[in-house]
Amino acid sequence: MARIFIDGNEIHLTVKDKIFCDVEFFTGEKLFNLEPRRLFPVSGHSEYITFLDENGEERFILRKLENMEENQRALLLGCLEEYYRIPKITRLISRSEKHRIWLWNVETDRGNYTFEIINHIQSMKMFYDKRILIKDGNDNRYEIPNIYDLDKRSQKLILPDM
Amino acid sequence: MIPKSLLINRPASKKILKVAEKQFKGNDKPLFAVIGDLELDSSYGEGAVYVTENRIVAIGEGFDGGFFSLDFANISKISVKRMYGNAVLKAVTTGGSSVDLMRFTFAMADICDAAADFITKVKEGESIEDRLAAVDNTFKNLRSFCPKCGRKLPSPNADCLNCQGKGKMASTLLRYIKPYTGKLIFCIFLSLVTTFAALVPPYVTSLMVDSVIPGGDKKMLVAVIIFLLLIYVVQYGIGALRAYHLRIAGDGIIADLKKEIYKKAQYLPMKFYDKTSTGSVINRVNSDTTVLQQFMLRITQEAVVQLFTMIGIIVIMMCMNWKLTLLSLIPVPVVVCCSRYFGKKIGPLYRRIWRRGVAISTILSDTIPAIRIVKSFSSEEKAVKNFSRQVDDWLYEDKKAGKVAAIFPNVITFLITCGSVIIWFVGGNMVIDTPEKLSLGVLVSFISYTSMFYNPVSFFANLSDSYQNALASTEKIMDIINAEPEHDFGKDNTLDMIKGKIEFRNVNFSFDRSKKVLNDINFVINPGDVVGIVGTTGSGKSTLINLLMRFYDDYEGEILVDDVNIKDIDMGYYRSQIGYVQQEPMMFRDTIFNNIAYSLPGAHPEQVLNAADIANAHGFITRLPDAYDTMLGERGVGLSGGEKQRLSIARAVLKNPGVLIFDEATSAVDSETEKLIQDAINRLIRGRTTLMIAHRLSTLRKANKIIVVDKGNIIEFGTPEELMALKGKYYKLINIQSMSEKVAAEKAAENFE
Repeated sequence: MARIFIDGNEIHLTVKDKIFCDVEFFTGEKLFNLEPRRLFPVSGHSEYITFLDENGEERFILRKLENMEENQRALLLGCLEEYYRIPKITRLISRSEKHRIWLWNVETDRGNYTFEIINHIQSMKMFYDKRILIKDGNDNRYEIPNIYDLDKRSQKLILPDM
Repeated sequence: MIPKSLLINRPASKKILKVAEKQFKGNDKPLFAVIGDLELDSSYGEGAVYVTENRIVAIGEGFDGGFFSLDFANISKISVKRMYGNAVLKAVTTGGSSVDLMRFTFAMADICDAAADFITKVKEGESIEDRLAAVDNTFKNLRSFCPKCGRKLPSPNADCLNCQGKGKMASTLLRYIKPYTGKLIFCIFLSLVTTFAALVPPYVTSLMVDSVIPGGDKKMLVAVIIFLLLIYVVQYGIGALRAYHLRIAGDGIIADLKKEIYKKAQYLPMKFYDKTSTGSVINRVNSDTTVLQQFMLRITQEAVVQLFTMIGIIVIMMCMNWKLTLLSLIPVPVVVCCSRYFGKKIGPLYRRIWRRGVAISTILSDTIPAIRIVKSFSSEEKAVKNFSRQVDDWLYEDKKAGKVAAIFPNVITFLITCGSVIIWFVGGNMVIDTPEKLSLGVLVSFISYTSMFYNPVSFFANLSDSYQNALASTEKIMDIINAEPEHDFGKDNTLDMIKGKIEFRNVNFSFDRSKKVLNDINFVINPGDVVGIVGTTGSGKSTLINLLMRFYDDYEGEILVDDVNIKDIDMGYYRSQIGYVQQEPMMFRDTIFNNIAYSLPGAHPEQVLNAADIANAHGFITRLPDAYDTMLGERGVGLSGGEKQRLSIARAVLKNPGVLIFDEATSAVDSETEKLIQDAINRLIRGRTTLMIAHRLSTLRKANKIIVVDKGNIIEFGTPEELMALKGKYYKLINIQSMSEKVAAEKAAENFE
């Protein structure tokens, strides 16, 4: 099946159950229970959003969120934020190591939490925009939006491993 | 009421318990419960689900009244929805509305899957006891953590390999020094001799300045000079001997370390390689061992020597003039403080340099073996740019470390010089004012000792630099040396022979908890069965094989071969009983003969010829100028895909295994070659249990059973005839392929005409 690209305003969304939505095309065609997903969840938050049906089959791709009408964009962003919600670390309260397992106690926008990192080198990645993504021993993801926005102590503890 | 022995992942809080206790009265008891770690709005907190024989009760702040009860009869679908950052246990009611029962991090994902499976299967009519046993299995797997270090154990009550006999980093390193203890002690003895010899000349200098030269005693002068020469001969001669023995010991340590890391790397589970780049492993074997060896020698040799030198000098200086000695010690605390500061500053820099080094090694190990691909896409420039960027990153970090490393020793030297200047000033005044208390010769000699004294001080001050560097390398090496190897619980437990009965019981598996790969796999294959495994790409076919090969052991459920759990069979023996032919056969940089004989070291040449013949490889090998002695390039360069595949089959033939596995063995070859390979396979599978993953269904003609895998589930299992009659997925796949083969044949015929 040829891939269908949508620029933005050709569709009308109705959100169902937080991460699913029904889509109506300007042609009148309707698609139900689609799940929007970012094709570039790490590098491009607002471009190339794919819509998958219940079988995981792609139905179409939206090129740019910006091209959508404001209301519709907000709805879609809500769906995406619900799906891609990961805790944002705001402070590293403490960090300790035992038997090669690092225990991080962090303050996040969703509360305080403690998690383990098995391998520092593989589990942490810093990007050129100073963002750091972390994956813990249970494959949960965390984000530090900008390492230089954290307090000095947190920076001092984290940066040497970057 | 809530039973005291309730199956639960962790104790519920009082708040949850209070709500739960109100829900269950009389005989209405929960069978198991899951305590979650998130609120429904994904804040960290607590939620819970309690599951009885006929209903599920969700407890959490997000529900009106703090709970939500749902009878199984009112559930049309219950499943775990994995999202990017967490997961939700979702139920769809018969009325069509959707309810989020509990939100949790991926740490709880397996257990919530088990809860959803329990409800689904019980609703479908399966026995509660059987399904509860599967849930219990998941709970056991979840709860088997080491009480000491918290690491997940391979099986309940298993010993934690991470905690077994592990001391501190130093004690691990001492293991590598131990075999060379004699040599190193001998070197220390030689060092003491040279140190003693080095302390003599300054004392002789004071004699020369104060008595021999002013006294004009030429005979004495010659005698002193000859004595000095002898001292120097002893000092440097023994120094050379020591250097030789030290090198031998040092090389031995590094060789042992490299061998140990490589050996460990061979036995590490596939999961380690899934998460670690080859570049990083190569870097550890090559560079880090050298850094560590240098540090170990510094500690065991230089540190001891410098310590003795320092003590010797202090004693001599004290005997000469205690006041000047105390003056010369003034800079020591400053030097020590600087050293500590330097250590803190340089440590993180070395860690970053190491990371950049790994990035460079990773690019090298990625692009050099794949140089054909780089060239075919004219990507040389891009590769160079990418490499340069990484090298520049490394350079940037190295420059920063270089700056700190360059400033510090000079600051130390300056402080030491200040100490000497103080001695010159105070001592000079003393010689002028009270020559009877301090002679010129003693002052000159004292200055010599002072400069010698600061060598050990400087050494210990700089030790933190090499310590930090070594610490960074040690950490990386320990990552491999202390990593958990593949678990071989059934060591030495072999079977008389493997007949070939294979059974999967309630097997669940995920590489990564955010995505489940195999879901509740159950099937039995009888000895001699030829089983085709079909399904779309990514459906989990190869993962089934990976589990059967014991490449991954951390699955839930059981896999049995001849009714014995494969985890209870000696791993080496078990794998030797399985012939595994991959889609992309790997060849080593060796002769064709050795590549075939890889599966049976020491094989007789005729065995290898016979195996090659059965695999339809003998023909093309004989046509090669060097025949069986043909040296294959890296990864089998010089042979076509079909030829490499036939060598790979010859390897399997030589092994004479009880079970055969073909993982898309013919998918990458043309029809003619496919026929040759298929003939070879048909000869090989006679009387052996065979599992064949096939993309082209035509290659499964010999299969008497078919397993259809879809999205990690077995959706069809039976004889080909049964599945055709079922008119399900297999039927559709057969029809699609027959149609496309027909079209292809028609097109080929048209072209031919």
